[in-house]
Amino acid sequence: MSLDPVIHSQARLRIMTTLTALGEGDRLTFPRLQSLLDTTAGNLSTHLRKLEDAGYVAVHKGHLGRVPSTQVEATRAGRRAFEDYTAALQALLTPPDVQQLSQEER
Amino acid sequence: MTPADEHALEPDDDAPLDPAQSAALIAEQRARVVEAVDVDARLLFGVWGTAWLLGFGVLWAVAVDEPLIDLAPQYAGLAFGLLLVSAAVVTAVHLARRSGGVRGSSATQGAMYGWAWALTFTGYGAMGYALNALDAGPALTSTVMSGGSALAVGALYMAGGAIWRDRTQFVLGVWVAAVTIVAILVGYPHLLAVMALAGGGGMLLGAVAEQVRRRR
Repeated sequence: MSLDPVIHSQARLRIMTTLTALGEGDRLTFPRLQSLLDTTAGNLSTHLRKLEDAGYVAVHKGHLGRVPSTQVEATRAGRRAFEDYTAALQALLTPPDVQQLSQEER
Repeated sequence: MTPADEHALEPDDDAPLDPAQSAALIAEQRARVVEAVDVDARLLFGVWGTAWLLGFGVLWAVAVDEPLIDLAPQYAGLAFGLLLVSAAVVTAVHLARRSGGVRGSSATQGAMYGWAWALTFTGYGAMGYALNALDAGPALTSTVMSGGSALAVGALYMAGGAIWRDRTQFVLGVWVAAVTIVAILVGYPHLLAVMALAGGGGMLLGAVAEQVRRRR
């Protein structure tokens, strides 16, 4: 099993972990997301664009009064991709002899 | 070609990860988010338990026939009020910090639930005002105010437990409601001791239970 390259990068993995830690339908404002990741706005934007292109996150641009406010959420496809990623990771981390053993049992 | 395949063609933008590093990174970041965003029930149960224990305790200590401490009842009432207001301030600051920057479903849910608390206790403020205007004595005032508001606390905790499927919160609500029913039947002034020890003490036990649950 190979790891989804869209998620398999330090920055994007941390973004997806953060957004999927929230419940479905929950969004984070851009500044809060940035502070939870200790990253620069530019870096975060770059990686968000890649995730958005893949359909894994939705970026909502709006206004709170006159102040522009950007909110980010993991899409359903993004949550599924993250689950698949963690499952693939788990499979890679399980020692091969254990995998073989469980296959023999079947 | 899936979107994932397209990105595979791009050069990677940061240091490559091996699976173990990925797993560690996920665990670390998830813990960080939970720590930053989740409401800490230990803190909330702790401050409210302490406020009830000391607040109802001081009211009871001056209400009994032979007061345990030499304090005018109005100062005991003031101490009670200050303790509850302090707990409310700690709660508000904590909730604002943890929920800052979170929008969407759970923020809406939390705000609605917050309004339920705010309006209920504004209502009890009005009730206190009305009882005072009616020249109700300390026994009647204390029974209605403590009993009524504590029943509301129990009901709100039970509802909170149902909303967030949080058994600790639900059980605490049941406990507070049950203690209040007993306290109302015990009657003034000892209802105050029941509220302090069983009500406040129960919340402090709730804080301990939450700590044990988190350790697991």
